[in-house]
Amino acid sequence: MRAFTNILLIRVFLVTFLLSLLLISCKSTVDISGHFPSPTINQLPYSIGVIFNKKFSGYRYIEKSEKREKWEIGVGDAQVKMLNVVLKAMFSNMEVTSDFKSTSGNTLDLYFQPSLENFQYNVPYETKGNMFEVWLKYNMKVYDSQGQIIADWILTAYGKTPSEFLKSQEAALNDALVIALRDLGAGLSLKFTQVPEINKWLKKREKSNKESAKIVKNNIVNQIVLKI
Amino acid sequence: MENKNTVFTYLCIAMLCFLFSCTSVTVDQVKHKQVELIQGDSIVVIGRRSGSDYETEPDLIACIGTALSQASTALNVIPESDFVDRLYPWFEARTAPVHVQDLNRLLSYEKISRIIDDYQVQYIVWIDGNTEKTRSSGNISCGLSPTGAACFGFGTWDTKSEYEATIWDYKSRQLVGKVSSVADGTSYMPAIVIPIPIIAPVQRHACKTMATQLSDFFTNK
Repeated sequence: MRAFTNILLIRVFLVTFLLSLLLISCKSTVDISGHFPSPTINQLPYSIGVIFNKKFSGYRYIEKSEKREKWEIGVGDAQVKMLNVVLKAMFSNMEVTSDFKSTSGNTLDLYFQPSLENFQYNVPYETKGNMFEVWLKYNMKVYDSQGQIIADWILTAYGKTPSEFLKSQEAALNDALVIALRDLGAGLSLKFTQVPEINKWLKKREKSNKESAKIVKNNIVNQIVLKI
Repeated sequence: MENKNTVFTYLCIAMLCFLFSCTSVTVDQVKHKQVELIQGDSIVVIGRRSGSDYETEPDLIACIGTALSQASTALNVIPESDFVDRLYPWFEARTAPVHVQDLNRLLSYEKISRIIDDYQVQYIVWIDGNTEKTRSSGNISCGLSPTGAACFGFGTWDTKSEYEATIWDYKSRQLVGKVSSVADGTSYMPAIVIPIPIIAPVQRHACKTMATQLSDFFTNK
């Protein structure tokens, strides 16, 4: 009788332990990682300094709603990685700076500072199409070499991925976020020169570059004439 | 004893029936002009992902690509991820050309046309559609007690795969045809202590039939 009671107690303990483990593992944690290709675009002949503040590079979304599953999603590293790849392809020279000061000592033409304003996601039971969906809303700021703001605009990104049999929730959400970040890279690289203030700055800069080239050309001609 | 054997045999037959008879596939093909693939020409199969409430599954695209390259015709198929990554950001969900005429705008950009020429692409195949659960019924209950865990009940669900392939001729910038495939299937899950899933491979069938149809399309059968 005593042996039976002991076995029963051990089993009750094991069941309680397993249930506790299940409860603990109810929180899903994911640090987004993926491959971000370099965009095939025309490069701008300017140098840019990119300012990633701590909030941006270490961005983690923690679900606080009592009505939803517990999620902790680390987006910071992935968005920094993607922007590094995209901005390197967009500009002839790109460097990461902590402030409006070049780390290499060179004068930079522009400074770029992104911030993630809003992060939203849906898991399959919340969507009609049994999908993981992600929305990202960024505020992009571009400054001139003196730190004066040139442009300030909103850029949104969206990614979705279907839930699959034998695919973990974390892997599916990771895929949706990688797609959203690729969408962000596409939006940034293709629409950057179309932002009215940036377009105006580029035209002004182009004009002044042409004038400088004309002055240099005239000086060379003058020097040749003087020598003759 | 004999009774038990009979029941077991009937159960096996029923399960085999479930496994092999519960998927039906309907295919359709429209060809506007004859296709011409010469030695070295490639095709690329890409998923259309602009739909708001569904997503063409990347594994289905990979499955069709693999099936086409392994078919007797042995077509030279460029993997979707390689093509889309190399041409990033021009073939993303929101930036990909929607109409065949849009290729002209895209190819006016020299870097892009050079990459596509490097791949020797002759045809671009866009796959649009998805696989979804259309109906489910039944009930399975599971219990956990100090003596063990067990499930009892029966569940069934229908799955439908609906895909359409649109084939563009990259060189002449024309729509050369369309192939569609609709597959239906019913899956079952009886649970007697442990759940036994008998899943109808609807998406796999859709992939195989789509690949066979595309293979026939490209060989002008």
